[in-house]
Amino acid sequence: MNGKEAITRILRHETVSRPGWIPFAGIHAGKLKGYNATEVYSDEDKLFESLMEVNKVYNPDGQVLLFDLQLEAEILGCEIVWTKNNPPCVTGSPLEETDEIPTRMISKSDGRLPMVINAARRMKKAVGDKTALYGLLCGPFTLATHLRGTKFFRQLRKDPDYVRKLLAYTTEIALQMCQLYLDEGVDVIVPVDPVVSQISMDHFETYLSEPYKRIFERIRVHNAFSSFFVCGNATHIIELMCKSGPDSISIDENVNMAEAKKITDRYNVVIGGNIPLTTIMLFGTQMDNMKATIDLIDRLGDCTKNVIIAPGCDMPYDTPIENTIAASHAVLQTEKAREMVANYELSDIGVEVELPDYERLKKPLVEAFLLDPLACAACTYMLAVAMDAQKHFGDKIEVVEYRYNNLTDISRTKKMAVKQLPSLYINGKLQYSSLIPNLDDLIREVEEVM
Amino acid sequence: MSKEAIFKKLSEAVFEGEDDLVLEAAEAAITEGVDPTEAIIEGLAAGMSKVGEYYEKQKYFLPEVIISAETFKKGISVLEPHLSKDMDTLGTVLMGTVQGDVHDIGKNIVIIMLSASGFTVIDLGKDVKPQVFVDKIKEVGKIDIVGMSALMTTSMIGMREVIETLKQEGLRDKVKIMVGGAPVSPRYAEEIGADGYANDAVDGVRVAKKLVGAQ
Repeated sequence: MNGKEAITRILRHETVSRPGWIPFAGIHAGKLKGYNATEVYSDEDKLFESLMEVNKVYNPDGQVLLFDLQLEAEILGCEIVWTKNNPPCVTGSPLEETDEIPTRMISKSDGRLPMVINAARRMKKAVGDKTALYGLLCGPFTLATHLRGTKFFRQLRKDPDYVRKLLAYTTEIALQMCQLYLDEGVDVIVPVDPVVSQISMDHFETYLSEPYKRIFERIRVHNAFSSFFVCGNATHIIELMCKSGPDSISIDENVNMAEAKKITDRYNVVIGGNIPLTTIMLFGTQMDNMKATIDLIDRLGDCTKNVIIAPGCDMPYDTPIENTIAASHAVLQTEKAREMVANYELSDIGVEVELPDYERLKKPLVEAFLLDPLACAACTYMLAVAMDAQKHFGDKIEVVEYRYNNLTDISRTKKMAVKQLPSLYINGKLQYSSLIPNLDDLIREVEEVM
Repeated sequence: MSKEAIFKKLSEAVFEGEDDLVLEAAEAAITEGVDPTEAIIEGLAAGMSKVGEYYEKQKYFLPEVIISAETFKKGISVLEPHLSKDMDTLGTVLMGTVQGDVHDIGKNIVIIMLSASGFTVIDLGKDVKPQVFVDKIKEVGKIDIVGMSALMTTSMIGMREVIETLKQEGLRDKVKIMVGGAPVSPRYAEEIGADGYANDAVDGVRVAKKLVGAQ
């Protein structure tokens, strides 16, 4: 069963052997190839290259094309500010001073949509048979706040008529975006509406239940899957989100996922989430990420149906790559990861190992420190490139691998003070950490020490 | 109308977000000779405090808080000109959303809540460079608390820069620092050397009071 088949079965509410895995690498995708947020969200080739790297290193069952809720707002006249390490953000709203309801619809040639369409096509061709592609669009409520500004919140109570009219418009835009993704054969279509967590159940029911029913129904009749992403403490609206008819919902760390799952289970809706973004993914260690993910899976109980493990929301740009690798490993190989976490805690009583005398090596020594090359995609590639170098040089160099699943290798990994796995060392010096080199670069670096 | 009835009307007007009612009650306070400071604390601030409680209990949400905050401001605009100049303040708070972040709804609500609770607040706005915090402290002379907000994981790193800049300028020990915002955690606050972390606007008031020894 490949990743896409796993997601398909999960979204059909079938029983599977493990939960699904979707790393929300939006701007963070760029980090994997050394591109900043602006580059990755405005250049089709860089976006595609970055998405392919996500696919390679994080081994996702499903992946997002881009996580940019400003895409439509930019086309519809919002002022946008671009930064290096964040998605663009709205700083000016065209409807702030006017009560007019816009009539302008979007076309596929508008703004950055050609880039999105082409990237979707290229991803579909490259990995579409093994990875489910997620097409994200800005939810009608968030788009309305982009267009109107903070005033829109006030109007929920003070001017219901205006709110309904503007939401009717933004819902049409959302439906257009759905169609755009449907036309490209994107597997899962996702309205992302982060600010709906900030409104009451009453307001959700009054203003959003019907628009969302329309959106999810439209996606369903075209035989695609849907997901409803929200951010913040959305505990109070989980049930209403389910009632609007999505195939799945995704929540962040502000919601108790185990409790929310009790509700989604009642409605036979898939729940996705919610590895903490900041405390664990951005600032935690590799082992923190593995442990937090396993703990989350354990808290959820039965994960063989209707469960997807994912970061709480769009991953911060600077999320250490090895942290996501660890989370990926914990979802895809939960039992092996569980052993590693246990070994990590036990490693203080590890066995004595002797490190090579790096100053007096007879030939260059390439050491690959890995989590588990059979289970961790990034480790597989790291080992493969080291073995390719071995093939290139024959017996002129030595290549050794260490796996973080036995106490001897764990003790060696610790003694070498390896901070991130996978890592590649040449003659005792760290050359590559998490990022996989291409063979030419590695050959050149080995030649330098020959 | 009795003093108590005016306070009740002010409080209810803020809680319900009724602008006309708050203006009417504030005018009545002035006409009846009610102490404006008392009217703010016992009337407007009491209403805002109830809004905060409802928000914490998820009975109120952002739209309700924004509406009440606006009503609170309208009430203040009537009462403020009648305040005596030497009115006691719990302390002066310098607030800003850090550089690189333009999200300020949360910060603005914290400002309303702090003002309602007796603090003097200077608002530096959004996307505020570290040096602007420094310059304002030097200009004002006495700032008790520097409050920083961020909504994004990347921009919150700017909080550390502000603290470092304050250290370089020899101002760090002269102010207390509190931080808050969606991605900020108590652990992060501690890590960057802030004195307090607030989970939301209501908590912000509690932390600020603690930092100035008013609690």
